[in-house]
Amino acid sequence: MKILIIEDENELAESISEYLSEENYLCEFARTYSQALEKIESFNYDCILLDIMLPDGNGINILQELKKRDKQEGVIIISAKNALDDKINGLQIGADDYLTKPFHLSELAARIYSIIRRKQFRNTNIIQQNELQIDLLGKTVKFKNHPIELTKKEFNLLLYFIGNNNRIISKSTLAEHLSGDFADMLDNHDFVYAHIKNLKKKLNEVGCKNYLKTVYGTGYKWEDE
Amino acid sequence: MNKLLNKSLKSFTIYALLVLASSVPAYYYLVDSIWLRELDEHNEIIANRTEKELNNLKLNETELNRSVTLWNKIKPGTNLEKIILNNNNKTDSIYTILRKNIYVEHNEIDRFRGLSRVIKIKGENYLLTVETNVEETEETAIAIAILTFLFFLILVVGFLILNKRLSIKLWQPFRNTLSELKTFNLNAQSKISFEKSNILEFEELNVALNKLIEHTVSVYKSQKEFTENASHELQTPLAIIKNKLDILLQKEALTDRQYQIIEDINKALTRVSRINKNLLLLAKIENHQFDESETINLSELTEECLKQLQEHFSNKELSVNTSIEKDCVVTGNRVLIEVLINNLLLNSIRHNSQKGIVEVKLNQSGLFISNSGIKTLEKEHLFKRFKKSSEESSGSGLGLAIVEQICKRHQWTIGYEFQQEKHTFKISF
Repeated sequence: MKILIIEDENELAESISEYLSEENYLCEFARTYSQALEKIESFNYDCILLDIMLPDGNGINILQELKKRDKQEGVIIISAKNALDDKINGLQIGADDYLTKPFHLSELAARIYSIIRRKQFRNTNIIQQNELQIDLLGKTVKFKNHPIELTKKEFNLLLYFIGNNNRIISKSTLAEHLSGDFADMLDNHDFVYAHIKNLKKKLNEVGCKNYLKTVYGTGYKWEDE
Repeated sequence: MNKLLNKSLKSFTIYALLVLASSVPAYYYLVDSIWLRELDEHNEIIANRTEKELNNLKLNETELNRSVTLWNKIKPGTNLEKIILNNNNKTDSIYTILRKNIYVEHNEIDRFRGLSRVIKIKGENYLLTVETNVEETEETAIAIAILTFLFFLILVVGFLILNKRLSIKLWQPFRNTLSELKTFNLNAQSKISFEKSNILEFEELNVALNKLIEHTVSVYKSQKEFTENASHELQTPLAIIKNKLDILLQKEALTDRQYQIIEDINKALTRVSRINKNLLLLAKIENHQFDESETINLSELTEECLKQLQEHFSNKELSVNTSIEKDCVVTGNRVLIEVLINNLLLNSIRHNSQKGIVEVKLNQSGLFISNSGIKTLEKEHLFKRFKKSSEESSGSGLGLAIVEQICKRHQWTIGYEFQQEKHTFKISF
């Protein structure tokens, strides 16, 4: 799957590409507004990562260009600004998601995963992962047609792990992911452990293999064989 | 405090008192000497006339002697006496004398001005003495003093009235400038304009103030922009570090110790990002980037925030007592108010003891959030940036500073209280 990274900061673009390429994503770069325009005119991508603060133009305009051309790429805005206006504006013009710097690569990977799946399976919205069937829209999970009752947070975690297949995710990263905008202000990350324990238990109960491994004591990994 | 004009009034009054007081002896000597000169003239005229008239009568010696005796009897204040002179030219003598006035009922001492002169009647020498009553020294002095004092009073009253009118009229431009300055708020960045004055000093003052304010505003602005820009600029390098750590974490065969180090860096990094985020938020509130307002059902919003934090409450086994009145509505910025409630709730979790109590009370007049605590916090530093009042180090040190800014933005007041082993933050709408 092809991803276009529109980002003027080299180091950042390379890190993203390095993390994603292990997941069989093919990354291309655009460092400026004009380069980005060139690329989206000539190629199709599965997902575009868009930094809206570019040296020679506003990334928001690229969104408009995409829309004008009726392109179907999923777009994730990456911004150093945590401005609500930009967020609303971007999402209204047609971005699918919005990430504020600094973010974890696993967070980005999980979001890319969801967006690409949503775009690909426009009608069904069902992901098949190992023996699990995950309904993105209905937010339900089935194991060999047996439904598994997951809480919102557990479902959220499961998607996060699957989006970061075979990748180690640390507890603090999960805490940031789960608590969203504000609760990362609490340093006690025990709640993460509780959610993971429950998720594991529920998967076990229906006979699902233990894909979710604990590494280094407090890190986790969805190990796909 | 003294008013400026009262100060000058005091000096003026003292000066007037001195001048008027020293004028009393001056006036006295002037009046007295005029008096005496006029009386001397008067006495001289009488003497001349007496000499002339008596000579014109052409009386014989017996008649003359009889007339002189009669004269002495009926003409008070004058005396005519025959004298023998050794040499013919005796000079006039002028004198002042104090004696009893026998013609006045209450026997008092009067002052008299006298002239004694030798006149010739029919070749004979007569000594003529003329005495005229003069006002006494003390009486003249007292009269002048009283008059002077009256004038002094008139002066002082005049000064007072003038002072009052001047201070209203003359200082009006100054007062205008002052009231403009009092309403000026650096944070509001409102332009200030002084009324034009046609008085040089005030106009100079206004010009100088304008310059000062302009400079202050521009420095303040650039300082605030600096905070915002610096925070923005930090986001990208922070993102790079974070991402590199994520990649490092994926490398094969990390030891547990290495993993732990990465995790510790991650945590510290999260804290830096949090401080940065909060600094940015503060700068944005101060830069009025949250100006849009809407009507908010605070009751629902508070419930929602409580629900989101539910697992953190139970994690610390806190008992949460709520008394939230239904449909409390406020006008404000939703994002900010959410931040406000969350910050206070997070504090009530973070600074609570295991199995402690959290109380949330909301009604039309205010929001109260309390939690168990041991000792009172220092009130004056509580809302300052980076002032931590407890050993708990995980906070960004900006939470309450943000809360205070948000309250300011909505014109609410925030208070803190420690009672019955409970910290209470109270926001009054």
